[in-house]
Amino acid sequence: MQKTMRLLVRFFRQEVRNSNVLFSLGLYLLGVSYLIYLLSGSTPSDSAWNTLLWVVVFFGSVQLSSRSFEFESGPYFYYFQTIANAKHTIIAKILFNVAYMMLLSMATWALFSVFFGNPVYNTALFFIGLMLGATGFSVVLTLTSGIAHRTKGNATLGAILAIPLLFPVLQLTSAINLQAIVGVTLTDAANLLGTLVALDMGIGLLAYLLFPYLWQD
Amino acid sequence: MKGSIYKVLGLLLVAYSLIYGLLTKVPDLPLLAESIRNLFYHVSMWFAMVAMMAASFWNAIRFLGTEDLGKDRRSISLAEMGMFFSFMGLFTGMVWAKFTWGAWWTNDPKLNGTAITILIYLAYFVLRNSMDDARKKARISAVYNIFAFVMMIVFIGILPRMTDSLHPGNGGNPGFNSYDLDNGLRMVFYPAVIGWILVGTWIASLRYRLKALQE
Repeated sequence: MQKTMRLLVRFFRQEVRNSNVLFSLGLYLLGVSYLIYLLSGSTPSDSAWNTLLWVVVFFGSVQLSSRSFEFESGPYFYYFQTIANAKHTIIAKILFNVAYMMLLSMATWALFSVFFGNPVYNTALFFIGLMLGATGFSVVLTLTSGIAHRTKGNATLGAILAIPLLFPVLQLTSAINLQAIVGVTLTDAANLLGTLVALDMGIGLLAYLLFPYLWQD
Repeated sequence: MKGSIYKVLGLLLVAYSLIYGLLTKVPDLPLLAESIRNLFYHVSMWFAMVAMMAASFWNAIRFLGTEDLGKDRRSISLAEMGMFFSFMGLFTGMVWAKFTWGAWWTNDPKLNGTAITILIYLAYFVLRNSMDDARKKARISAVYNIFAFVMMIVFIGILPRMTDSLHPGNGGNPGFNSYDLDNGLRMVFYPAVIGWILVGTWIASLRYRLKALQE
């Protein structure tokens, strides 16, 4: 646990030192949101609002994760092997990405509220849906970007691998968020929420078990 | 000789389901009419696909445990065969959908599940082709295969049950199993499923041997 925390701190430091990445992600969000604003012209309907939000978060996360193992590949891979084992690495990486993607989705929500208004009725449910979705995203994307980096192949491979795998999470989350917009109560959405929690935990466990096989040479 | 029993059995069962499926008496249902015979050809493809993918998944797990490259060859051969079945299931389903629902493609959870499954396994083949070192390729693609199979089961097995579907047995529609699927249909459907799985295993084993010779 302590080792995982130390790795996590290290990842965050790396990120702060390399702040142009965070900046470019923010710029992407701002640019895309404004592009949608310019093109749509008027306030989109609730379901279109939700769809657009998820499309923006989706591509933001894929872009974000594509450089998830940037510092640990190439010659640094062997160095990294000596300072941390695979299980600590995957837990720290997933936690780091979870935090990052929660930030990303919250920022998108805030931007959308500025440009298109905030149609969400049940804010708590929407927030929980967003957080659970960000968790699922980061688990899938961490594993697939790990795979893509181990192949040392092209940069698009990570996206190709991740996109179909993200659909179950995406579909569940967007269903929850649509219910939150309509104003369904937490207890009524418990079924969907429970499924998403179970899915997140299942794929998290799977990623944890599989990653050591990936993280060796 | 012993090894060929399942091949002969598979061929006989497939031939039986193809021929007897057209001859047998079927329930006369509105809308479906005679197209209900497609049950033998369309649904059995999906059963065969899931069986192939499950076997591929199992071989991927065994590869990670044993590091035996033969398991990896089995895994990829079975996945290719499963891919073939999924395309066949898709085409037979599209024809059926055109005549019963009026469109080649509908926004239905099962159809989305199929599309995702095909994308997942195409990505798996792309992943395999992007690496040279056999052992590393086998290990990394086994990891993806295991993860992908679980996601596929979630997508085609769990999510459709939570949403409405045009398919029988989902979202309040009457299921085949409750009262539609009578014993006459079962007599052809189950042999068809078993027959296609056996034939699929046979073709996959041929591909496995071909790959072993190539390497």
